[in-house]
Amino acid sequence: MSGEVSIPVTAITRGTIPQRVFQRDPANAPTEDIREKLFELEAQGEWIVQRVPDDNIEVMTKYGRTKRIPRQFTWHHKSCGQCGHIPGYSTSIFWLHRQLGMEYNDPTDQTSCTAWNYYASATSNAAAQAAVAVRNFAAAYETGYFPMIHCGTSYGHYKETREQLVHHPDLRKQVRDIMAKLGKPLIIPEEIVHYSEWIHAMRFEIAKRRVFDVSNITVTVHPACHYYKLVAEDAIYDPDLYGGQRTAVITAVVETLGAKVADYSTWFDCCGFGFRHILVQRDFTRSFATLRKIERMKEEANPDVTLTHDTGCVTTLDKSQFAARAHGRNVGIPVLSEAQFAALAMGAHPYRVCQLHWHSVDYRPLLEKMGIDWQARWAEFQQDIERLRSGEKQFLTWEDADAR
Amino acid sequence: MAQVTTKHEHVEVPYEEKERLFIQVTQDMRFHDYLKGCYECGICVAACPSARFYDFSPRKITQAVAREDIELVYKQMNEDVWNCSQCFSCDRCPRGNSPGGLITILREVAVKNGLHSAKEALEGYSRIVYKIMSTGTQVSPDMLQPDAFPDWGPEVRDVSDNLDLWRRAIPPETHHTTESAWVVDEKTLTELYLIWHMTGVLDMIKEIDEGLHMILQDVMEEALEEKGFSVS
Amino acid sequence: MPGNSVLIIGGGPAGLYAARSVADVGTPVVLVEKREHLGGTPVTANYASFTPHLEDAETAMQRMVNDVSSDPLIEILLQTRVTAGSGGPGDFAVTLTSRSGETRELNVGSIIVATGFDHFDPGRETQMYGYYEYEDVLTLVDAEKMLKAKNFVRPSTGLPPKRICFIQCVGSRDRRLGNEYCSKVCCGVASKEAIEIKELLPDAKVFIFYIDMRMYGFWEDQLYWKAQEEHKVNYIRGIVTEVLRRGDSLVVKGEDTTMGRPMEVPMDVVILSVGMVPSAGTIEMAKVLNLPRERHGFLETVGAPLDTVTTPVPGIFVAGAAAGPKDIEDSISMAGTAAMKAVSTVRRHLKQAAIASSMGGGGE
Repeated sequence: MSGEVSIPVTAITRGTIPQRVFQRDPANAPTEDIREKLFELEAQGEWIVQRVPDDNIEVMTKYGRTKRIPRQFTWHHKSCGQCGHIPGYSTSIFWLHRQLGMEYNDPTDQTSCTAWNYYASATSNAAAQAAVAVRNFAAAYETGYFPMIHCGTSYGHYKETREQLVHHPDLRKQVRDIMAKLGKPLIIPEEIVHYSEWIHAMRFEIAKRRVFDVSNITVTVHPACHYYKLVAEDAIYDPDLYGGQRTAVITAVVETLGAKVADYSTWFDCCGFGFRHILVQRDFTRSFATLRKIERMKEEANPDVTLTHDTGCVTTLDKSQFAARAHGRNVGIPVLSEAQFAALAMGAHPYRVCQLHWHSVDYRPLLEKMGIDWQARWAEFQQDIERLRSGEKQFLTWEDADAR
Repeated sequence: MAQVTTKHEHVEVPYEEKERLFIQVTQDMRFHDYLKGCYECGICVAACPSARFYDFSPRKITQAVAREDIELVYKQMNEDVWNCSQCFSCDRCPRGNSPGGLITILREVAVKNGLHSAKEALEGYSRIVYKIMSTGTQVSPDMLQPDAFPDWGPEVRDVSDNLDLWRRAIPPETHHTTESAWVVDEKTLTELYLIWHMTGVLDMIKEIDEGLHMILQDVMEEALEEKGFSVS
Repeated sequence: MPGNSVLIIGGGPAGLYAARSVADVGTPVVLVEKREHLGGTPVTANYASFTPHLEDAETAMQRMVNDVSSDPLIEILLQTRVTAGSGGPGDFAVTLTSRSGETRELNVGSIIVATGFDHFDPGRETQMYGYYEYEDVLTLVDAEKMLKAKNFVRPSTGLPPKRICFIQCVGSRDRRLGNEYCSKVCCGVASKEAIEIKELLPDAKVFIFYIDMRMYGFWEDQLYWKAQEEHKVNYIRGIVTEVLRRGDSLVVKGEDTTMGRPMEVPMDVVILSVGMVPSAGTIEMAKVLNLPRERHGFLETVGAPLDTVTTPVPGIFVAGAAAGPKDIEDSISMAGTAAMKAVSTVRRHLKQAAIASSMGGGGE
């Protein structure tokens, strides 16, 4: 053909608006894959990389790369705030593992990540933080179980620490020397795994065991800053949720359980925890949580519960509402971790397992809406307390937790 | 007529001292990870929770450091850095900076050098430092006292009234504690104390709270010596 | 055997201009275009007008297409790709494959790659702009289409919007994305579109949120001053980080940096000023013709700044945005330069071959 026809341009205009579907291509990921660097350094003898156990599930992260989440044989790196004042949070995480028959250990050879203190007061430094991290990793390695991080702050902090250790040989050396004094090798896990990623990966198995219908429950999701803003590529994304544009780690779980997820306009906002602020400058935390998160959720989504996946976020959102109510603000949304919500949906005891009596905002309307007889459960729990008080039992056990 | 002065201006700090502190900031290992160049575009401020409540700007701090404005950085190190909520929303910076990370370094330098403003910011915080340093866990159950957290609601009183029973009514065995968040092995604590010693953290604490430092020193040295470690 | 023609890959503005220029000096052209039409991105993306003169894009492109049609020296192959290439200057052997799978071998003297750019996909953006969540978030391309139809509406309601904003530098100037360059035209294009919107909707409030305003040369008063002074477009120095929905509006969060305060304002329509990335065709031709790509991913040239079109592969030249962000004037200028160099390559080798054979050399 030698161009005898003059081609009019208007004929080509597409008539319909093309469907907006975003495709991720891991080959086009803009950042390095840190895990390749981990293995390179291992090959050079810099450290040992603890491998993810074979029994794992693959999930997708921000740039389309795959992350493997161990189903079991996990060493549970606990959270100060959860164990300290939201014990139902960590208990629910363990309970879910036990219900699904997943092997784990709950170590005493574990220190806090110490990041709460670090971000609050800066009374530490990069070397101390890295040493604390790798000491915990070494402790896990010694048991053969793979670290599973409970707190969002720990998770984000450890992701940052990993970057620093990879890119700063001096830091690695300093930390290796400290570990040597402790009689430990330098260990780094192949992945830093957050428990909410485990719940996400296991959500279908959890949903299968659901005993309460949550389809009438409206949920707002609050994602933790330290989960997805620190080292942003290492967070779970799903092309079918939010157009693949927001982290889907919690939302996927809520939808799989059958509850409704409602959106609100301050979704990406921090809760206002502030690390230092929540302890010694609470007006900031309280104002921020109330004005930017809770009131907006109430106005725009009117949820039955707000779910999040980090210690600081649960604390902030739950504890900021009391004083705000005294000032006539539009608050009153119960705050739970998704672990507790999933556990409740599966029939966990609201007090023995979810330990809701430690929460500030009234959760009873939520339980009623889910069809959970909290009065009967509270009476049971009071009897447990009586047995402890009288000395008949020393502790509430896992068997007690599930007794009926 | 009463003279209005800011708390920090009543003592004149020489320029060389401000410069010395600035240089310490730039020599931190992480400095170049956290500061490349600055567009002064405002994404960090747009994302920042503290910018909405305080007269605080991660952009201005980053700009001041990038411009090597010694006087302004010193002022910010004293007046602004403790307003940051360390959420790292500012890590969205298109140049790849981390204003929050820069602030972490500024704070560390303030603490290491015993700046009065750092001590003030951490007033009322000592018991928390004590708890984390000595028990290896942060806020422990016995810290939930109604006079410490009156704004958290009446449940705090319920917790403190029933603390012992309620802690024993938690299934995981590691949670049967009141003075720490979970049970931590003695050996683990020893390792932690060694880490604090070997990384200079105790020296930092000495700068901001001598009393706290003395207590921690005693606790840690005793524990370490028991396990056969000598601490110089 | 030396080729006597120039192969031009890509039928957009640069390719069309190059074809016209090569034919004007009497050298045959084979113009290959993978789409079923000529005109390139201005046609596929339904551009309303060109920056900065606001000349109707369809009219301009139709003129360019007419200029190459019905010319015996210009062979146009639509729905055709170059799938293999070998040889050197004066004597390239290329394989052309049509959409039906038919192949054809061609022998040419030089090649001009004019495969253009793709618009940045806002789903890859570092900031949270919600393009894949909210239909009222558009790109410059979506806006061009509506402006071409002279019907600018809010997609969610079908009604004219009252508050519209542009967000600059989407997909450009971002180390976290790996696009460490400025896409050059988006400030001008956004200003142009702002003017066009105000002409259609004089009562609408239009904002442009920027980091720097890139107004080269005469764009300064042709676009920037004109937009501000004649059309009251609001330029706000401070870029946006999030777009979310609140009730009936979108809400954008940014900082008004000159006022030094965070801002959160409602908008009916948000237009993302998406930048340029190397096109799929450019990446493909780089592989097929072994053309190196420079560090931003575009085709490398040698001799910059005094030579904008010569690639490291002798006999192969580049014109237009395949070499990096270019405005339409750049592309046309490069096309003319590339045409000249392509023709001189062909002629030089034809002449050398003629001399060799007339000296009684080996068989032919």
